[in-house]
Amino acid sequence: MSNQSSVEILTEWDIVAARQLGRNVAKELGFGTVDQARITTAISELARNIYLYAGQGRIEIQQLMENGIKGILIIAADQGPGIPDIRKVMEDGFSTSGGLGAGLPGVKRLMDEFKIETIPGEGTDIRATKWLR
Amino acid sequence: MVHKIENQYKEILNQYMQRQSEQNLYVGQNFSRQLISENISPEEVISVHKAAMQEIYKDLPEVVWHSFDFLVEMMINYGLALQERQSLLQRQEEIRVEMDLAANVQETLLKTKLPTLDGLDIGLLSIPARKMNGDYIYFISDAEGHAGIAVADVIGKGLPAALCMSMVKFGMDSLNHSPANPSEVLGVINRVVEKSIDDSMFVSMFYGRYDAVSAQMTYGSAGHEPAILYRAKTNDFSELYAKGLLLGVSPAATYEEHTVQLEENDMVIMMTDGVTEGRTDQGFIEREVIFKMIEEKKDEPAQVIVQYVYDALERMQNAVLSDDFTLVIYKKV
Amino acid sequence: MNIQVELEETNNTLTGFIRGEIDAHTAPVLREKLEMHHHKEGLNAVLDLSDVDYMDSTGLGVFVAFYKSVNAKGGHVKLKGLSTRLKRLFDITGLGEIMDIESVGKGGN
Repeated sequence: MSNQSSVEILTEWDIVAARQLGRNVAKELGFGTVDQARITTAISELARNIYLYAGQGRIEIQQLMENGIKGILIIAADQGPGIPDIRKVMEDGFSTSGGLGAGLPGVKRLMDEFKIETIPGEGTDIRATKWLR
Repeated sequence: MVHKIENQYKEILNQYMQRQSEQNLYVGQNFSRQLISENISPEEVISVHKAAMQEIYKDLPEVVWHSFDFLVEMMINYGLALQERQSLLQRQEEIRVEMDLAANVQETLLKTKLPTLDGLDIGLLSIPARKMNGDYIYFISDAEGHAGIAVADVIGKGLPAALCMSMVKFGMDSLNHSPANPSEVLGVINRVVEKSIDDSMFVSMFYGRYDAVSAQMTYGSAGHEPAILYRAKTNDFSELYAKGLLLGVSPAATYEEHTVQLEENDMVIMMTDGVTEGRTDQGFIEREVIFKMIEEKKDEPAQVIVQYVYDALERMQNAVLSDDFTLVIYKKV
Repeated sequence: MNIQVELEETNNTLTGFIRGEIDAHTAPVLREKLEMHHHKEGLNAVLDLSDVDYMDSTGLGVFVAFYKSVNAKGGHVKLKGLSTRLKRLFDITGLGEIMDIESVGKGGN
């Protein structure tokens, strides 16, 4: 089962739309209040990264079903400048010390699975999944 | 697990709601410690609180329940900050272990052999302010009764200073244990250091060569805190000044050397600025204070004297030494 | 543990006042500010240290680095208002010989 929908990120208001979409899907799948808050925070962070660093991009939300377990997949894709040093942005303290918020390590902690692909000059594709337990 | 916590929380909350005693709050405090040790995040605690309230007070207005949902959202980032802190603590521990290992390597690397010469009593103490020592002592001795000593201090403390110090050691090794003149030794090490270090790094170094046969000390200094000569006969202290620039500033630097004749019970006191730059709430510890300490113990073995000075200075500074501390005494006996 | 650094550059002349303590904690602040100027060709820098109460070898390192890079670009560094204690530090290290320093004469600490 795969059911998808997406939001284009162009302005700060689109971050709210992406959150709303993610929350609706999470609620529908049966995630509790705490997990809903975690999923939307993760979406917020990813959408904000697109808005701040790539200028524009897309947040896609998919419903998953694997071995009878339901899950939610967030895809954040952009054709921005890419991340030159992934190790650095995945390091604790790198974004939080600059007051930039939870950052990518935060997204990784909020979700169960996290994958990032980035090519300098071409863009970034981040996929984060949370399973319903 | 979560279920058990939910029940315990509900019970503790319920008790408090009925009596509001300090005892109830104390139980709550202990419980929160348990929550932390079980890695329960702040947002989960609020969710547990909401569930407990819903069971105890079913009929509260909707706005109350909404407010808890809002609070859950507010706490997500606090939960992340907590997790980040835990991972940083773990990384700090890893770094600590690595530093311990590095300090051991340094200790082995910079090991030097205390010379034993007739008529010369040597006292020596070198204590790093942090794990790695930026001060360094190197002895060169031979069968002909020479005891050369280098006392060096790298600017700064910790790891960068320690790495820089290895260079001085290898420079000294390259001198092949010959009883060279201080001006030559300092000139060689200056060129080694100048070639290899960054502009804001430098090393100060005192080099003294004692000849047991003539009881003469020949010394030179590369921008180092002057050594002190104690004359037993007149019971006074004077500086052994020798002109010379810090190592690593200019390749063209040249170094003066001078010689003093030691009589029985005279002492040459060599140190780094960790000894002289001590500060208390009242201000700097003047060198005269240190001279007085040495004078009090002048009849003791050199090792007893250096230990006494260290203990006294440490006490004066409330056991906090802000810089690496190195003190060496050559006593003619 | 505090430091105040005021630097003003006009017509390739850098005038500076430094107040407080220059030690391992505050030296990076001073270094950062000085580094904004040291790459200028033929810079004439005059730094007033009369309100510096304390300086350790880390502080000395900052001035040496600044002196070296300004000198390499044909400039000149002058340090003035050195207290007796600071003057001694420059004298012992031999830096007083190669750098242009001026002490307040007597007083200081």
